[in-house]
Amino acid sequence: MTVALPHADHTDREPTVPPTADCVADSAGGLTFDVREPGGHRPEVPSHLLLRLRSGDDEVRLPLTPVAEGRLRAVLPSSVGLPEGRWDSFVEHGDRTPRRLMPGVNDLRSLVDRAPSGARGHVAVRIPYATKHGNLTVRAWHRAPHAEAGELTVCGHELTVRGRVYGIALGPAAHAEARSRREPSLVHHGELDTRGPEFVWTIDYRALAEQDGPWDLWLRPAGSTGPSVRLARLLDDVAEKKQIFSYPASRLGRPEGSAALLEAGPYYTGDNDLAIRVQAVD
Amino acid sequence: MHISFLIHNAYGIGGTIRTTYNLANTLAEQHDVEIVSVHRHRDAPVFTPSARVRVRHLVDLRKGTAGYEGDSAAHRRPARHFPSAEGRFDQYSELTDHRLADHLASTEADVVIGTRPGLNVHLARQTRRGPLRIGQEHLTLDSHSRALRAQLRAVYPRLDALTTTTEADAAAYRGRMRLPGVRIQAVPNPVPEPGVAPADGSGKWVVAAGRLAPVKRYDLLVRAFDQVRRERPDWRLRIYGGGAQKDRLRTLIDELGLYNHVFLMGPAHPIDPEWAKGSVAAVTSSLESFGMTIVEAMRCGLPVVSTNCPHGPGEIIDNGVDGRLVPVGDVRAISRGLLELINDDPLRERMSHAALADSRRFDPSRIAERYESLFHDLTAAGRSGTRLGRMRGSLHRARGTLLGGAYAAHDAGRTALNRRLPR
Repeated sequence: MTVALPHADHTDREPTVPPTADCVADSAGGLTFDVREPGGHRPEVPSHLLLRLRSGDDEVRLPLTPVAEGRLRAVLPSSVGLPEGRWDSFVEHGDRTPRRLMPGVNDLRSLVDRAPSGARGHVAVRIPYATKHGNLTVRAWHRAPHAEAGELTVCGHELTVRGRVYGIALGPAAHAEARSRREPSLVHHGELDTRGPEFVWTIDYRALAEQDGPWDLWLRPAGSTGPSVRLARLLDDVAEKKQIFSYPASRLGRPEGSAALLEAGPYYTGDNDLAIRVQAVD
Repeated sequence: MHISFLIHNAYGIGGTIRTTYNLANTLAEQHDVEIVSVHRHRDAPVFTPSARVRVRHLVDLRKGTAGYEGDSAAHRRPARHFPSAEGRFDQYSELTDHRLADHLASTEADVVIGTRPGLNVHLARQTRRGPLRIGQEHLTLDSHSRALRAQLRAVYPRLDALTTTTEADAAAYRGRMRLPGVRIQAVPNPVPEPGVAPADGSGKWVVAAGRLAPVKRYDLLVRAFDQVRRERPDWRLRIYGGGAQKDRLRTLIDELGLYNHVFLMGPAHPIDPEWAKGSVAAVTSSLESFGMTIVEAMRCGLPVVSTNCPHGPGEIIDNGVDGRLVPVGDVRAISRGLLELINDDPLRERMSHAALADSRRFDPSRIAERYESLFHDLTAAGRSGTRLGRMRGSLHRARGTLLGGAYAAHDAGRTALNRRLPR
């Protein structure tokens, strides 16, 4: 049953039904939108699905073409670049004001355990989701290269991160860096165990105890002279990782020179990047 | 036929509301259907009624609108007709008493259907003579207090029929409530075909969905999954839903070190695409008055491993054929049940096909047919002389011999009845 459509109280007035889109994701990163808009389509003017980057002026227009049962379909192939961010979706007929789309049924099963080849040198991710206002927005990432975080294991005061890189090789000088967000000059270097594109990084939280707050995690696949690659978790169907991929914090005790008891633990940022937060325990 | 549902609040979200829309939308393909909502707190219902279903309210509780009645004196005075032992008593008032009485005294429906005990009481007492009076029990007799059962027993004999969602609950009503002349019949909840293709069984995911409430016993599921993980670390578990148990479950997951295997996903609407990502569904409740999520999962092609708790699971799952029933409260049995399906791909595939086929009996079209035949039987019963039916029967006999077929007979009875009864 379709949810959240305002409907029709036929006993008083007839509110306009907002357009909705069902989204189907393919494992390559492409999205198909099937738009339903009762009475909305006018064949004499061109219709588009409009994606508008929330933080900026970027817009992408995809032609909407009629398919069965009065539906209009637009396709966003993985080959169309979509810069990283939140893309609000609209349906637009000719020069009429675009109408915000609401989510219908999102079939994202092909994204669940996504394992792209990385052969194109980048990873493109688009995850449609319902905003807190109930509208349809597409969360996009485009990372070239990319370091995907997989299983995290917390053991005592150590965190082990398993992952793999895409679009870059892990060279002999490959290493990892934890960078304090509050004190950018503080960088903790870590060793990587690598096997092909896969890596394991064990971080001793005590090395981060000198500065509280978040530490962002990066890989340097080609060593200090090569690119920095942010560790992130992107390759599944979950648009907002923070609440769902949750991990226990570890007590660090009272480090030397510290007045407070500290704890540390991993978390995903609003952009699904992996970070470690060091904070005082109340 | 004109069918009128009476519901606490058609504008909210919840199992009874969803079920009522599913049934109403389907009945509306053949009949004139309305949903009368006692309360209205927002402009639009969350679920979409079919264009043929009329939805209206009796009391307007939309704050900040001109029609708001929440502050009226009559709404502040307690209800006298709504049963005091009913869980929603506090939300009923002298105002709802009046509106319900007016509605039921003047309804032009041929069938009125109540969707909770307090409304069934109004319906039994206040419906004008003529329409069939059908009360629905969406929970179970066991879930009602002794005081409420006593209040219901005094009034329910005035119903034509009482429907339960399971045979087990129907048996409880027959055995313990003594409702002479009232047809007590189990009719399961309808569950529509999902809006996505069924699961293909390739995903190594177990899926559960429901409120994170103590009765769902997700703590047992998490512990069982700890055992699954030891044998099959490649499988993982998603639990959809929100609720008060979330923090406890989070702590349990962290204590067991299951944070790479068990995920609390939060609420999902619609849920069907989430079932379709899994290959096995799990239900570990200590009580399921029906077991809607079991049917939903089966309709998406997932075999369900469920505790054999009262009342629904055992009536939905054909044990070993389209799913697996395990003892209530037994962590080892739950993990064995899950591993049985996880470790045997051909068995899982067979059960998946069986689940799809067997769950079609819950399709709204089938459930609506069961209601239609109930309406027909109740009308026809008049011929053989039950209480309300006696009058209908005598009227019916005058023309019944000229007509064949259930609908024709039924409609004739109704027509004669409507002609006789003043409006």
